[in-house]
Amino acid sequence: MERLTPKKAIGYSIILVLIPLFIAGGAFLLENRQYVWISLCIAVLACVPFFAVFEKKTADVRRMVVLAVLVALSVLGRFAFSFVPHFKPVTAIVILAGLYLGAESGFLCGALSAFLSNFFFGQGPWTPFQMLGWGIIGFFAGLFSKPLRKHLSLLLLYGGFAGAIFSLLMDVWTVLWLDGSFLFARYAALVAAALPVTAIYAASNLIFLLLLARPLGKKLDRIERKYGL
Amino acid sequence: MKHLENNAFSRFHPISLAVYFVAVMLITMFCPHPVILLLSLAGGILFSIRLTGTDAFAKDCRFYLPLFFLVTFTNPLFSHNGVTVLFFLNGKPITLEALMYGADLALMLFGVVFWSKCWGAVMTSDKLLFLFGKPFPRLSLVLSMSLRYIPLFKKKWQEIKDAQTALGCFSEGGFLSGIRSSTRIFSALVTWSFENTIDTGMSMSARGYGLKNRTSYSLFRLKRRDVFFILLTLALAASAVVGIATGALAYIFYPAASVPQDGSAILFYVLFGVLALLPFAEETREALTWRYLLSNI
Repeated sequence: MERLTPKKAIGYSIILVLIPLFIAGGAFLLENRQYVWISLCIAVLACVPFFAVFEKKTADVRRMVVLAVLVALSVLGRFAFSFVPHFKPVTAIVILAGLYLGAESGFLCGALSAFLSNFFFGQGPWTPFQMLGWGIIGFFAGLFSKPLRKHLSLLLLYGGFAGAIFSLLMDVWTVLWLDGSFLFARYAALVAAALPVTAIYAASNLIFLLLLARPLGKKLDRIERKYGL
Repeated sequence: MKHLENNAFSRFHPISLAVYFVAVMLITMFCPHPVILLLSLAGGILFSIRLTGTDAFAKDCRFYLPLFFLVTFTNPLFSHNGVTVLFFLNGKPITLEALMYGADLALMLFGVVFWSKCWGAVMTSDKLLFLFGKPFPRLSLVLSMSLRYIPLFKKKWQEIKDAQTALGCFSEGGFLSGIRSSTRIFSALVTWSFENTIDTGMSMSARGYGLKNRTSYSLFRLKRRDVFFILLTLALAASAVVGIATGALAYIFYPAASVPQDGSAILFYVLFGVLALLPFAEETREALTWRYLLSNI
């Protein structure tokens, strides 16, 4: 589908390596309380290159429509299962979007799902972090789409792993939020307290991937072949 | 009549609103001075009360007040900076400065939270789409389509379910068969939505979507009132930036909390106070006008 040119690879590595480095550097080097907000600004900025790439590619309207459907489905899914806390199909659908529509679309599906669903679940300073977190999960699913599409076991592994990493990242944000600085003791305490939540979340990713991967993938394949996307 | 009284501020142009919210939130985020944070929190709370009423605010308080104290009182447990030791806990000093720092941090957090709430109430999706439509037209299109699909898919889900119930699909009870039925509905919904929406996409390209020189209609007009509001916001925000840059609004907690000295900072407090209370003042003015006119009819 999309080939990874060297130029693009450099662009991606700037986004995916330098910005986290900035966040970490700010956290450990600057003895400044504001870096929770600086990281917030970076999270917003980090989304911009992905959006710009999406704009620049003369994307087919039909592809955009399919993306919109996936975003709507993941938001609806978050609704449908909101009675079970932390049990949501968003990550699974975002991963599938990355697999079948490409890395950029995966990022957008994640970012937009977070943005849109927070209209109903509450917008706040955490929104950019969720956008970035889910976006990157979709992005990597797109980058490694070949092996992930072939082996279901790899896909499940990625799903569980992505869920755990997402929770750990959001815990970093919570620590920054609570203390204004990164205190490891607090982080360890928080991660331990959040362990059941993380487990439920990772398990829900696995279950939804197991349920959705084959049928949804088949449907997307069919649409691609039928309309020549 | 509540909504008629309470939408004066949101009638400003989306650009004016975005400039205002971004300015207030950035100052709140980057200025740790307790007086500024207190003013910001007061402005955010008063505005949110005007927008959503006192009941909603009371509900918020029940949730946020414990969190406020949690942030304040847990900071000294993890941070042992500061010169004024209050007491020792497990051999670790608990300092007054760390406590004050925690309270200051909590002020900032809840200031931003309340302003975010106001942003959510004022910046409805049509305004956001207008704002992002210029720099990110495709993204905004995807966003607006998704927004439309959410209620559409909900309705369709119910239709499919009704049809399947009529066929006897939900007759047997039980958890597992319920899941199986739901999966079938979901599958049908996904197929239907892809087919249906790709038709939409093709019809859009047939009508020339994305071609150059196409114009689009927008409901929002930039009026003199909006421009004046932007200029006022920028001027007041600039004064806060001057205050931060010159050190008049600087405040440090460690090792010892700074003590306010001369009165030069008071001017900056007043100017930021005006900025933070602008939406509340505008809403109150509108509400008073409304009441006044009502009583005269």
